[in-house]
Amino acid sequence: MLLQLNNIFKWVQQGGQRVFLLKDINLEVEEGEFISVMGPSGSGKSTLLNVIGMLDTFDEGTYNFLDESAHTLKEKQRSNLYKQYIGFVFQAYHLIDELTVYENLEMPLLYKKLPSSERKAMVADMLDRFNIVGKKDLFPTQLSGGQQQLVGVARALIGKPKLLLADEPTGNLNSKQGEEIMELFKQLNDEGVTIVQVTHSEKNAQYGKRIVHLLDGRKISD
Amino acid sequence: MFKNYFKIAWRSLKKQPFFTFLNTFGLAIGMAGGLLISLYIYDELSYDKMFADADRIYRIDVDIKFGGDTQKYAVSPAPMADALKNDFSEVELVTRFRTRGSALIRRSNAEANVKEEQTTYVDPTFFEMFGIKLLNGDPKTALTEPNTLILAKTAAEKLFGASNAIGQSLLLNNEETYRVTGVIEDLPQNSFLRDYTIFEAMEGYEDSKIVNWGSNNYQTFIKLIPSANVNDIQEPLRAFLGKYVIPGVQQFMPGITEEQFKAAGNHLIYSTIPLTDIHLHSHLVAEISANNDIQSIYILSFIAIFLIVLASVNFMNLSTAHSLKRAKEVGVRKTLGSNKVDLVRQFLVESGLISFLSLALAFVLALIALPFFNTLANKHISIPFANPVFWMILLGSTIVLGLFSGSYPAFFMSRFMPINALKGGGQKSVGGGKIRNSLVVFQFAISIFLIVSTLVVYQQLKYIQGKDLGFSKDQVLIINDVYTAGAKVASFKEQVKQLGSVKNATLSSFFPTPSSRSNTAFSPEEGATNQENAITMQTWDVDYDYASTMGFKFIAGRDFNKKFGNDSTAIIVNETAVKIMGVSPEEALGKRYTNDLGTENPKYYGIIGVVKDFHFDSLREDIDALSFHLGNEANAMAIKLEAGDFSNTIARIEGIWNTIVPGQPFDYYFMEDSFNDTYQSERRLGNIFIIFTILSLLIACLGLFGLAAFNAEKRVKEIGVRKVLGASVSQISTKLTLDFLKLVGIAILISLPIGWYAMNKWLEDFSYRIDIPWWVFVLAAFLALVISVLTVSYQSIKAAIVNPVKSLRTE
Repeated sequence: MLLQLNNIFKWVQQGGQRVFLLKDINLEVEEGEFISVMGPSGSGKSTLLNVIGMLDTFDEGTYNFLDESAHTLKEKQRSNLYKQYIGFVFQAYHLIDELTVYENLEMPLLYKKLPSSERKAMVADMLDRFNIVGKKDLFPTQLSGGQQQLVGVARALIGKPKLLLADEPTGNLNSKQGEEIMELFKQLNDEGVTIVQVTHSEKNAQYGKRIVHLLDGRKISD
Repeated sequence: MFKNYFKIAWRSLKKQPFFTFLNTFGLAIGMAGGLLISLYIYDELSYDKMFADADRIYRIDVDIKFGGDTQKYAVSPAPMADALKNDFSEVELVTRFRTRGSALIRRSNAEANVKEEQTTYVDPTFFEMFGIKLLNGDPKTALTEPNTLILAKTAAEKLFGASNAIGQSLLLNNEETYRVTGVIEDLPQNSFLRDYTIFEAMEGYEDSKIVNWGSNNYQTFIKLIPSANVNDIQEPLRAFLGKYVIPGVQQFMPGITEEQFKAAGNHLIYSTIPLTDIHLHSHLVAEISANNDIQSIYILSFIAIFLIVLASVNFMNLSTAHSLKRAKEVGVRKTLGSNKVDLVRQFLVESGLISFLSLALAFVLALIALPFFNTLANKHISIPFANPVFWMILLGSTIVLGLFSGSYPAFFMSRFMPINALKGGGQKSVGGGKIRNSLVVFQFAISIFLIVSTLVVYQQLKYIQGKDLGFSKDQVLIINDVYTAGAKVASFKEQVKQLGSVKNATLSSFFPTPSSRSNTAFSPEEGATNQENAITMQTWDVDYDYASTMGFKFIAGRDFNKKFGNDSTAIIVNETAVKIMGVSPEEALGKRYTNDLGTENPKYYGIIGVVKDFHFDSLREDIDALSFHLGNEANAMAIKLEAGDFSNTIARIEGIWNTIVPGQPFDYYFMEDSFNDTYQSERRLGNIFIIFTILSLLIACLGLFGLAAFNAEKRVKEIGVRKVLGASVSQISTKLTLDFLKLVGIAILISLPIGWYAMNKWLEDFSYRIDIPWWVFVLAAFLALVISVLTVSYQSIKAAIVNPVKSLRTE
């Protein structure tokens, strides 16, 4: 078992009333799964993903990551988890504009404090694998959206995470670029990476082996 | 990792040239100002420390209250030196100086004189006392014989060129023949002897051998043996009063005892001051060179710290404001496994980088400003590029400054929550508005305080210059060294008076401009032996034209007049003297006083007139008692000119001078200039205030400008919405500007009372001072408001005219 959410509630106070963002969510994710989370705007998809990614907190329930209680982690332990196990892919790519493609890929490795030779080898591997060797000295703003997202995925994968969390990874891309990213996800999943993605698109959701539907913060189907 | 930090720091700085410029420039101004002031302070603190054994050298000072007058002197009696040497085993060496002021000097066979500004008699222990090496000559014999002197190198070169000066003979003031027995290096600019170029052997000065404890004329320095403690000699030094001084006084006040002397409220206290403290802590009568005030060092230190803190605050403000742009990066880095410490380190590297850029820029600014600063501060400061300690301190403080300035932004930014930072540009994630606002208030409060200070300093200066001094200093020309004309000086005066453009002329050595003068105790004819009746007055030798040339007003009696044959025994006193005598001006007329009670036939002077008080010292001081009597010896001549073409008149006076005494230098100055010199330190303070007020305002404006830019950016959506709803450009820009004016308003409320308090304290130093006028505060507040409106409105208007389509598109 990779992670387990038990009876998760998350709410905000609005006008003296609780507005639930997540309501009694139970979710177990095994290693090697590919889950698509679907639902209309405001259904709590992104919130759920942020909770899984420990970017956001919740108000009630328990969350175990690799059999450890995740909601009690300190910032330092959390950043260690990110370094070792979790990779993020964002809708808006969120590459660092001041760094080249090469440097963006290298950054997670720097935080892992890997020696320079190892970093070089790993970045070279990634560039190779994603066919972006020619782009390595360009800055993000010099790339197309699809290429940027490719770099984003490569950056998420370079630390060899167990879990890839993707929030609308194709949301800013055209259909062809989106398809390429989805094919890539499928391939990664086949190689053993666990993936949880949030998506609007029925078509993209189908790449997942399992689809979770949310509505108004509740899980309505799994 | 560090390489990566540097890379990203450098790139993000390059990407934001405007922001980088504001930050670097602000910091550089602060650093350059701090650097110059630090060099100045370092120079001031270094005075007299270059002398070997400086830590063991002390000067004897004395605090005397007698005859209604309290004065502290840097000089002591001639026999003090021997007494110290005989009485104290702790004293290793004693050296006396007897300063003579300026002297005219020439080689015996030369025609024209050279003027040397400062000369002094000195004991032969001079070399050993201060560890001074002779370039030529033998230190053991150089100053032991009468009529020998040693020269500073520059003076020797001026007189003898490259040829050897030793053994040559010189003529001083056209009458004293001296033989040169040594040449020394010029004395350092930061020593108390900096202006002295000629040192004559004390042996040739007869007064130095007379045991007279009644007059104080000798700067007396002692060097203690290394094991001695200076506190051990204070008590016995004070006992010199009973041991030496009172027996001396008994000669002319028979029967007076130490107890009586003290019971009458008088005192005479000898003390010591370390050589190295003299420059900043000593302001006594008859200082050997003009000293500075430790207070000005404090004021400057505060200004330096202010400037650097202001610049640092600016940096914090701009950086945190700017962090809006960096929020996303922080969020991404956190999800990639960076923790807070990494981020803090990264941002500190960035601020360190800015610090060093600023340092480079600060150097450029400091080098450009240095000549002006030197003129302003009357110094010869240079940047000590070759000194490794200087670099170490400089680099060290730059790193500290970088860390300090970077710390708040670094911790502030590393705290961003990634979820907020990644969502929608991070508007909400940037907090810290309160702190930024208080920093702006702080900056403006300091700037407004400095504006108030500047205005007050200038008002006080204006007041001093415009104040009725009791005499007219305008259009008075003073010609120095007229004694070189000898007996022909009278004819010179008469010829000058004939000139149409000359109103009047007078010969005297005393003029109502601050200079060191000595006091004499006078006793009345009746009750002379009662010390309580004694009055200490300055005595000025003048001629018949003096009072009329200076424009004194008589409140009783009359001026000296040739029609009265016996005016040679007459004196005129000032109002203050009459007050100390305890009589009215009319009653004082006819009273007779003497200043040589000790002699067999004391000469009495009768008071014939009382002049209205006039200011002859700095307006810092109260007016002292003063008396005039007729005298023949005069060093200078004062000439009252008619308004008009001064240079023409001066040329004609010089012509007369040259026909009467060819070959003697014609040296003149205007009394008004000399008067203005007195307030040089105030003027300097005023200038320094102006410059640093401008700098601090500039820094504050840079900060405000940056902050306004940030604010406009942050509210771009709000502005867009308002415009869509029909707000006009002027409404929006007014609203944005007003937000900042509120802060300036708070700063005004804080700084005005502080400024009022501090400047009243400063004014307390002056016996004659202004009341701070209300408009000073209004003007300061107004200036601050106008400057901030100008600064902010550019950004506000720019933000207000943006097309809302652009600003609202981002959703």
